[in-house]
Amino acid sequence: MSTEASRAIRVRRLRIPLHTQQAIMGYLFITPWIVGFLLFLAYPLVHSFWLSFNNLENLVNFQLRYIGLQNYVEAFLIDVNFLPMLYTTIRNAIIDVPLIIVFSLFTAIVVNQRLPGQGFFRAIFFLPVVIGSGLVIQQLFNQYQAEMGQAPLVRGIDVPTVILVVGPEFARTVLDLMNRLALVLWRTGVQILLFLAGLQGISSTLYEAARVDGASEWEKFWKITLPMISPIILLVAIYTIVDSFTDIFNPILNYIKNLAFAGQFRMGYAAALGWIYFIVVFALMGLVFWIGQRHTFYAGER
Amino acid sequence: MSTYGLYYGIKPVRRKGWSFGQIVLFLFLMGLAAFMMLPLVFVVVNALKPLDELLLFPPRFWVQRPTLSNFGDLLLATSATTVPFVRYIFNSVIVSVSVVVLTILIGSMAAYALSNKHKFPGQELFFVLVVSSLMFASEVTSIPRYLIVNKLGWIDHYWALIIPPLAGGYGVFLMKQFIDQVPREIIEAAIIDGASDWTIFWKLIMPGAQSAWATLGITQFVATWNDAFSALIFTRTEVMKTLPLMLQTVGGGSIARAGAGAAATFLMIFPPIIIFVFLQSRVVESMAYSGIKS
Repeated sequence: MSTEASRAIRVRRLRIPLHTQQAIMGYLFITPWIVGFLLFLAYPLVHSFWLSFNNLENLVNFQLRYIGLQNYVEAFLIDVNFLPMLYTTIRNAIIDVPLIIVFSLFTAIVVNQRLPGQGFFRAIFFLPVVIGSGLVIQQLFNQYQAEMGQAPLVRGIDVPTVILVVGPEFARTVLDLMNRLALVLWRTGVQILLFLAGLQGISSTLYEAARVDGASEWEKFWKITLPMISPIILLVAIYTIVDSFTDIFNPILNYIKNLAFAGQFRMGYAAALGWIYFIVVFALMGLVFWIGQRHTFYAGER
Repeated sequence: MSTYGLYYGIKPVRRKGWSFGQIVLFLFLMGLAAFMMLPLVFVVVNALKPLDELLLFPPRFWVQRPTLSNFGDLLLATSATTVPFVRYIFNSVIVSVSVVVLTILIGSMAAYALSNKHKFPGQELFFVLVVSSLMFASEVTSIPRYLIVNKLGWIDHYWALIIPPLAGGYGVFLMKQFIDQVPREIIEAAIIDGASDWTIFWKLIMPGAQSAWATLGITQFVATWNDAFSALIFTRTEVMKTLPLMLQTVGGGSIARAGAGAAATFLMIFPPIIIFVFLQSRVVESMAYSGIKS
């Protein structure tokens, strides 16, 4: 402590006002991230924007030819794959994201209760992330989905044969639902973990006070848990959206990746598609953020 | 945050016996847990399947005649290459651990600056940058990113696999949301005591946000561990390849290699599980310590 104190005195002698000091420290703390951001995100983005108006003529010496908006025109008017893919991706995200948020919040609250085997359940709910976010599940899906057109696991445990008795139409609906549910369930691990960490951050004094005042569990949830955890809900919403738009199953990203790297090396067109995609995701996230910020309660603020 | 409960000295109230609701909840969780276990079981079972069962159509979930021959195939497949299997594991571990440690450090520092504990000009702009950086799938910027890494001379070095992922805004955003939750009174008290930002960061913020950075650590580890794409575009020689890329090469090769692929998949999922158990126990520990359990 003594060195800090002496430095504080020294700083005071230099007559740097407190808010300037704070500003300097703020900049210092953020610098490492900013450097990485500029080098590996900002610059590549600008570069890819420029690339989207060009056509790669020669891969060896990376020779480019300016072709104006031609790549964008192709994306909307000529390419028959891109727009349907974009539509499917957005539709899936709009259906899945609320489901994932509600389910993971619910599970986190349940797992946060004092229950026998608490640690075991927490581990279990995170397992799908460990396996599912990677190549592993992708391979499993690729192997079977191409042939079956449905998730192998649901198929594999012979649930369908039971339902088929009821009727094929009903069976298909149930199967679709189960497939979606399975995928949603297996994508909630990180979210549950985030909510758990958030729930643990709520000071128990609040609940104690509420208990003394005779609040019911229901009231505690709406009046304490939900407002206190609202920054985390926003975090989870953003994370889930990003996750659903950037995960490995995403057909658009695979399409872009293949255009850029797999033999064709159409890097200009790939960059243009990337930018269209980015603008769509940006608009969606902006909307969520705008809604989120108005309903978020920050405990630290006054 | 976990440790702050200590200041209030509250101990959890212990109730004896189970209520009816708890039993229902427990059974419900058991059912859900069984469902969640399926992918893991599937991977294990797959690794034990003989080739004909792996390629069976329609696929069967359970294994009929379990065998360990897949692991033998994997050894054979990797011994054909010049690099021992351990090398891929070594590469993956080095890269993943470095990314995790640096992400937590850089992310937390930036988050502390951006949290509501600070005010400085440009703060809001920086936060907007962080949030917008979340949106880019690395595939979109991969071409220019490759050009930069190439210019820096990092191709085929660990740097190329470690540094670029640090630019993501996810860690900053996550840590900020949690640091915002830290009660302002504690920080103010520390400032009055003459603590510098550096001291506050290490003595108050980091211990207080333990569950947050453990969470970040787990997710980053999983993401890096499973990332084959970076290694694919940034490495040239076999000695620098990471495990997922090698897995892709082995599993994706031919149908005859399907068994080796299943075995490699099996070996691949264990390190993340170990990391998870290790870090999550920290979270649970700190939580039990502070008595913030309701």
